[in-house]
Amino acid sequence: MSTLDTFVVESTIAEEADHYKQIVSDAITDLVLVRSINKIKVVVTPEETLFQMVIVLRGGLAPIKISDFAQVGVGTFGESEVVIDIENEAYLPQLLESLWARCGRINVHQPERKTVSVSCENPLEEVPLIEEMVVEDPQRTLQARLVDMAIRATPEGFRVRYHSLNGNHFIFVATEDVMKKEWVEQAHKMLDELLGGEPSGSSS
Amino acid sequence: MAAVLEPYIYDGGMYKHGLILELLEDLGGYLIQAIPAASEVTLIMLIPEKDVHLVEALSTKLLGKLVKSPLTGTEIAVVSPTLAYHHLPHSACDVAEYLRRGGANTNMIGLARGMGRRVALSADYERKLINEHDIALFSFGTFSDCIINKKPKLFEGIEIPIVVTGGPDIKTEDIPNADMYIGGIGRVAHRLRKEPELEGLDRMNKMVSEMVDSVREEIAKDPLVVLPVRIMKEIKDQIPEIEHVLTPAPITIQLDGLRVKLPYDEFHEKVEKIEFDEGPILSEIANVTQSKMKNYILIKIQRKSEVGFVI
Repeated sequence: MSTLDTFVVESTIAEEADHYKQIVSDAITDLVLVRSINKIKVVVTPEETLFQMVIVLRGGLAPIKISDFAQVGVGTFGESEVVIDIENEAYLPQLLESLWARCGRINVHQPERKTVSVSCENPLEEVPLIEEMVVEDPQRTLQARLVDMAIRATPEGFRVRYHSLNGNHFIFVATEDVMKKEWVEQAHKMLDELLGGEPSGSSS
Repeated sequence: MAAVLEPYIYDGGMYKHGLILELLEDLGGYLIQAIPAASEVTLIMLIPEKDVHLVEALSTKLLGKLVKSPLTGTEIAVVSPTLAYHHLPHSACDVAEYLRRGGANTNMIGLARGMGRRVALSADYERKLINEHDIALFSFGTFSDCIINKKPKLFEGIEIPIVVTGGPDIKTEDIPNADMYIGGIGRVAHRLRKEPELEGLDRMNKMVSEMVDSVREEIAKDPLVVLPVRIMKEIKDQIPEIEHVLTPAPITIQLDGLRVKLPYDEFHEKVEKIEFDEGPILSEIANVTQSKMKNYILIKIQRKSEVGFVI
């Protein structure tokens, strides 16, 4: 957890907060969010049946294009195909998925471990298009994991939830009673404090 | 009454473990459960107190380990307010596993609507199911406010002793209707492996054993007409179909009865008519009912004061 700039869990009784920190920390570790989260603050108020969590994410996760991890070129003379030489295999499954969707499964071949070829009518035109194809958007998978983490960290019975994801700022409030406006406002203030006075922007 | 029986667990190799079973039979002890795992076997048994040293000597010879297991012959309900998959692994899983190491048979019960504070509640069916056990262990979370003020409403209608586990250190008296509170085992989202966590589990086993002892003492004041293990032996001898039941514990022993994992409709008459050498049949000395768990048979043995004799 050392890579988190701020990791605060507060509760009415300090010892219980320490214990709850372990639960939140387990949820973060399980979903491999350590490197994506910059700051996190959780406030649990059992007496009021309230769970508030604000997270500031690390930004700068650009979508991954094919040109980021592979060389795209035209195949040998006489063959009407585009050849993709892969440098980083990590994105191979996503690459194949997107090529199948775009060109049809029958046109995509993998003659070698690190080579994928795509049969097409006009390879020269296809090369720049394929180079620019986005195979993975880390921001989107991150959001899914973040929501999962919020649900895991919340006490199970707190089914009335408010959440807001604005850029890199995530706010999550959960209770089992009717959601009060001031709780949400409080959470927004918590985010402002976490950001050190910078405004958190409008909530969605 | 016959010899005093002591509960023990034998851990050792599969090779020649039959010798232990033969010796146990000769001594008049009972095998409660045999758990084979590849080349290893775990035997949970009741050994006559005077002859423990004989079994001990044989198990040393076979390079096995004989340990006392105070929780043997109990069926404990480990109740968790929720067993939702996104909170796995539940600490209740470790709690149940640890009790099993002490020799207990545990059943995990996840309440359908037990989570939350104001909204927590238990259904009639769940309460009846829990009441079929010897002890109910409720596995709660981190916050003392919840444990003291909100969760005890789940104890309503529970007639068996209630043990509560949770994170904070609270006095048992502070929790309404609880018979015992064990701290240091709260909600955790990982397996309990660290030293303080394991210490907490050890303490739990010790305290639950004490609770079991006190229930046994209570029973001893007005003893059961027949020992549950004796009924187990008679069922094995008189109902051969029990051999074909595939559950790990086809006959589960409780402090004052047993659960027979055969379909009620088909077998309850056979069970009721089980004969004892001393004369009576089972239905005269025990209540045979349909269990809330699946379609099993639940036997609760009557006391000496109800029947007038002990066999």
